Amino acid sequence: MNEFLQKIAQILEAGQVAEADDLKAFPQWDSLAVLSVIAMLDADYSVNLKASDFGEIKSAGDLWRLVESKRSA
Amino acid sequence: MKFTFRGKKISGVLTVVPANEKLFIEEMRNFNFPEGRSLKLAEVMGYKKRRQVTGNVCVSDLAVFGLKSLFDRGLLKPEEIDALLVFSICPDHFVPSTSNIIQGKLGLRHDAVCLDINQACAGFVIGLIQAFMLLDQPAFRKVVLVNGDVLSRRASPKDRNIFPLIGDAATITVLERDPADETIHAEVRMDGSRSDALLVPAGGFRQPSCAETAIMKDAGDNNFRADDHLRMDGTAIFNFVQLEVPPLIDSVLGAAGLTTDQIDYFLFHQPNRFMLQKLADKLKIPHARVPMNVVENFGNSGGASIPTAISFNLADQAKNGRFRACLAGFGGGLAWAAMQLGIGPLEFCEIIDFP
Repeated sequence: MNEFLQKIAQILEAGQVAEADDLKAFPQWDSLAVLSVIAMLDADYSVNLKASDFGEIKSAGDLWRLVESKRSA
Repeated sequence: MKFTFRGKKISGVLTVVPANEKLFIEEMRNFNFPEGRSLKLAEVMGYKKRRQVTGNVCVSDLAVFGLKSLFDRGLLKPEEIDALLVFSICPDHFVPSTSNIIQGKLGLRHDAVCLDINQACAGFVIGLIQAFMLLDQPAFRKVVLVNGDVLSRRASPKDRNIFPLIGDAATITVLERDPADETIHAEVRMDGSRSDALLVPAGGFRQPSCAETAIMKDAGDNNFRADDHLRMDGTAIFNFVQLEVPPLIDSVLGAAGLTTDQIDYFLFHQPNRFMLQKLADKLKIPHARVPMNVVENFGNSGGASIPTAISFNLADQAKNGRFRACLAGFGGGLAWAAMQLGIGPLEFCEIIDFP
């Protein structure tokens, strides 16, 4: 989870991102950030997310749990 | 489906780009995003310069200009063209076909077969396949393949998803018989159930263009476009390419009995640098063997982007030597197609400006 949060922070150009942080509250959260997250998840976690999957996600922790559920599926 | 061909080759590639050059740094002011984020986008995607037609310049204008240049310099003779194939999604008119317009303007033979085929970013590979199929006929000696689009005319300048990556171009590729008789392997796959990912909603018979389809609307993500404009679901396209293209390339190289190490250049469609880097990483191939600089220099010209990549990056090698290539086109349809073949020595390989 820590490594995952660091990767998200890097994409959002934020010092750090916590589990409870609302991703959409970051000023850098835009289509480029979404694409970068999708690419990172594909490369590092072998998980393919769609842009629509982000509709249900609020926090960084929500995203992590979605990734975990897809990995174990 | 899989294809194999023998005794066929590419004998020349000419890229025609409009001289009119647009700079991202100037155009980004039209987008409803902070400049810092647009600059970041440009850095990641490789947006810098792109070519755009002016006025009502059409694919046929670019193609006629290029073919005349070849005729004038004795690199091709009009009377030796047995077929003219135009692969485009930007027809001059619904009727007649763009290939017939070009035929008429250039006075090509009446027994030359002129065909338009609607194909977007997979249009170069699928066009080569169609050309090679015609060359399997004993009467056909020389086929001209035109790939071209002027999609800037259908892209919203306020849509950061699509506008900064679009470039206009037409390419002319000459195909003929090859006494060397090497085998060429290719494969085409398609999925129309995902066709919404790349769509121009209005302008066809389903939804004719009218005053209402020209109204700019907020797409909900700070981008503005009309139904007359091209729209792209960027993340869906990204996922499609990452998921579908590597297995297709594995299949084509498998049929050819080759591994990725044995391919000199992977000549892929040029959507943007980011996607090509990720595709190269997924295929575990070094970036040096995957040209990915067409978007930053010319913009993504759809089916014309692979021949543009060849004429921009590999002109000397293609004219004076030979390399083993793996081509892959992917996009609207959805359609994805790959081909393994040797390229060179070519009689011509260059880029010229349309004034």
